[in-house]
Amino acid sequence: MKTEDLIRTLAAEARSPPRRLRSPAVRLGLWLCVSVPWIALVVAVMGPRPDLAIKAEETRWLLEQGATLMTAVTAAMAAFCAGVPGRPRWERSVPLAPVALWIGLLGAGCLRDWSLAGPQGLALQVDWACVPGIVTVGLVPGTAMAIMLRRGAPLAPVLSVGLGGLAAAALADFGLRLFHAQDAGLMVLVWQVGTVAALTAFSAAFGHRLVRWRHLAAR
Amino acid sequence: MLMRAAQQGDAAAYARLLAAVTPIIRRTAARRWTGTEEPDDLVQDVLISLHQVRQTYDPGRPFLPWLMAIARNRLADIQRRQVRRAKGEVAVEVLPETFAGDETKEPIERIADAEELGRALATLPPRQRQVVEMLRLKEMSLREASAASGMSIAALKVSMHRAMKALRAVLTK
Repeated sequence: MKTEDLIRTLAAEARSPPRRLRSPAVRLGLWLCVSVPWIALVVAVMGPRPDLAIKAEETRWLLEQGATLMTAVTAAMAAFCAGVPGRPRWERSVPLAPVALWIGLLGAGCLRDWSLAGPQGLALQVDWACVPGIVTVGLVPGTAMAIMLRRGAPLAPVLSVGLGGLAAAALADFGLRLFHAQDAGLMVLVWQVGTVAALTAFSAAFGHRLVRWRHLAAR
Repeated sequence: MLMRAAQQGDAAAYARLLAAVTPIIRRTAARRWTGTEEPDDLVQDVLISLHQVRQTYDPGRPFLPWLMAIARNRLADIQRRQVRRAKGEVAVEVLPETFAGDETKEPIERIADAEELGRALATLPPRQRQVVEMLRLKEMSLREASAASGMSIAALKVSMHRAMKALRAVLTK
């Protein structure tokens, strides 16, 4: 096919244009509007943790939850930005800061647990409940994110879907800690952050399948 | 302006825009190594990609960086594809023919002489000869050979294995 003929074909298709993609900030707002009610529903069904009011006054818990939420928000924003051609690349690395803060706070928590209770403070128990917990809470944020990412440009499939997975999993962990009473630094680091990391890697592995150039897939 | 109009369904503006960006894409492609890919194919690939993601253009942002991000991404993909293809290929002037030279064959295959094979078969015990005839010369399945000879499939396999070993020994002497 000649390039001129292709241009004519594409122009003919342009008479019914697809809806313009909203800005990443608006899309972030939409994603939160879909995700937050679901998380509230899961927390209500599971029953908020009995010490939630006490925890809400505890600086360490608030900081950890703040860092988790910031990770989710910045990762979602970065994932949406990565799907828009021509946006600056630094936007994609913004989530590194809250992730570092989140892990740093949990690391500091581990040290504090050690100084208060010695080796007992770093006791690691098996707590598989975190995995289905995060998956359940993350179900709607993850699905909404996947649908939204498919509308963007597949410029960096692994990165954008990985960031989307990180956003959904981190938001799910934020919700989990509202009904799951697990606050020991090492336990949170291993079971909760570990699950978030595994889900992020799992999402990234599906990047090329979820977000791709459609005309290549049809070949 | 043209892209904004195109996003609102103005086909003529879109055609003008695509025609205007074609030389830009062609120049960008010419500056990069893209293997054996035809320049027109590259340009068309980028145009189709641009068309697929035209909803991602934000009229509040400059057009050229948007276009170049798509073009660079597609060209990089094509380069990767070309490298993969090049790795799987070996440049040769004459394609090797594996069916003509004796050195490419198993010893048993070298025996094209039916007479020699017949003599070799004659040296086998009667049961093994019968198995070779059924399974190799008449190309019967193990089940058919079992029904015809009354031997079990396991016994057929054992006989076949022994026969092939014996034949190989006779023919490679």
